[in-house]
Amino acid sequence: MLNILVYGAVTSAVYAMLAVGFTLIFGVARVLNLAHGAFYGLGAYSCYLLTGRLGWPLLPAALVAVLFVAAFGVAMERFLVRPLRHSALAVLMITIAVGLLFEQAMYLLFGSEARNVPAFSNATWSYAGLDVSGQRLLTLGFGIVIIGLLWLFINRTRLGSAILALSQDREGALYMGIPADRIYAVVMAISAAIAAAAGVLTAPFLTVQPTMDLLPMIKAFSIVIVGGLGSIPGSILAALLLGYSETIVAYAVSPAWTEIVSLVAVLLTLILRPAGLLGKRAAF
Amino acid sequence: MRLALLEVADLVVHYGKALALDGVSLSVAAGELVAVLGPNGAGKSTLLKAISRAVPSAGHIVFDGRPLDDMAPHLVVAAGICHCPEGRHLFAELTVRKNLELGAYLRRDKAAIARDLEHVHALFPVLRARGAQQAATLSGGEQQMVAIGRALMGRPKLLLLDEPSVGIAHRLKIAIFAAIRQIREAGTAILLVEQDARSALGVASRAYLLEHGQIVREGLSEAFIRDDRVRRVYLGV
Repeated sequence: MLNILVYGAVTSAVYAMLAVGFTLIFGVARVLNLAHGAFYGLGAYSCYLLTGRLGWPLLPAALVAVLFVAAFGVAMERFLVRPLRHSALAVLMITIAVGLLFEQAMYLLFGSEARNVPAFSNATWSYAGLDVSGQRLLTLGFGIVIIGLLWLFINRTRLGSAILALSQDREGALYMGIPADRIYAVVMAISAAIAAAAGVLTAPFLTVQPTMDLLPMIKAFSIVIVGGLGSIPGSILAALLLGYSETIVAYAVSPAWTEIVSLVAVLLTLILRPAGLLGKRAAF
Repeated sequence: MRLALLEVADLVVHYGKALALDGVSLSVAAGELVAVLGPNGAGKSTLLKAISRAVPSAGHIVFDGRPLDDMAPHLVVAAGICHCPEGRHLFAELTVRKNLELGAYLRRDKAAIARDLEHVHALFPVLRARGAQQAATLSGGEQQMVAIGRALMGRPKLLLLDEPSVGIAHRLKIAIFAAIRQIREAGTAILLVEQDARSALGVASRAYLLEHGQIVREGLSEAFIRDDRVRRVYLGV
């Protein structure tokens, strides 16, 4: 029981970190970014490169990795997405291309074998028969802090107001003098940085290999469909829902069945409530 | 005539192959309230959007001595043109207060922003009471007040007002036109696009008549009110 509670929370935190950025860039810039999983993977690989190959200490490596991926996201928005913004389909295709490019680049640079990224904490916490690694607890803590900070940033700062304004009425935002392109770049940086942070944090207990972007991408996508595309509260709610459902299924049925949970949730959502739990309207 | 604050010359706008504005020229002096009348689809909103640089255009737009032709939309706002668009385009899920604050997005002068918020509240007292409410929960007329107040929060030299009376209860319409008069009296120039010619001519000093993307008549409001064709078609008398 305690197992489910703790592991479900860790999984939910990781899912929420993946989903909020994905839903944010869609809600603000209407970009369905299928390279979002690549941000996650790139975070993990950058950290591996800096620690494993260049021998950096973990903390600066983790920070540089996250900043690098944020810059990568901004560059992708500026040079690949922005010129194609007139066509939603073209934007979709270019983000898929970036995702595939990530996989191929990692394969060529680092090979297909799984890589190790050091953990911030190698301790194990034992309580009432439950053993959980410090790294997982740290991931949970970081996830809560990051999402809390994001909430404060969006609701309490001038730039956050501009993000909200742009997501609710683009033309209205234009007449307020809000520079849309600059805000899109900021949102892409935030979105990429949070995904990269999730990659850095989970890398020690998950597998770092070239195809590692796919599963997080599917999860982020599933969560925002269930929660409602563009809705941050919706994606957090859906992350908790899926995180716990999967953990319960893993314990009650079998770990082999976990991946089917999010797909069933997506199907049920699309049939019963196409706008998602907290979405305003169907996005497709 | 005073030196023009806004000078528009030979403005042409295409939407794809359709010609929306066909060589429009007009001017607004500092502190002047000018109305643009005309039927639906004449190009009135397009004219305001072109001035805001929200749609691309050919021709010349000079504001306060500076050409706007190649300016980014947010710099037009910074130059002193605030646009209260047709359909209001409020931030529906944000509070009334936050909508008004976003009107001052480009400004950093906190004390002056607070004073301007007081002015807006004095102009539309109901907005003070509704401050914490989501914009979407207000009535149409109140939403229009938010839209006008939000545009004023940018401290414009020129306010572009697009159809402020559309779909609004009569009582609120009177309040809104009274407010428009007050805004002009405080020294802000206004370019008012309006289908309700009677209300618009009541507050404007000059007017233009726009039909099929062209200015077909211009003159003082009194002359417009006496004009037979304007009376028949737009005033319904």
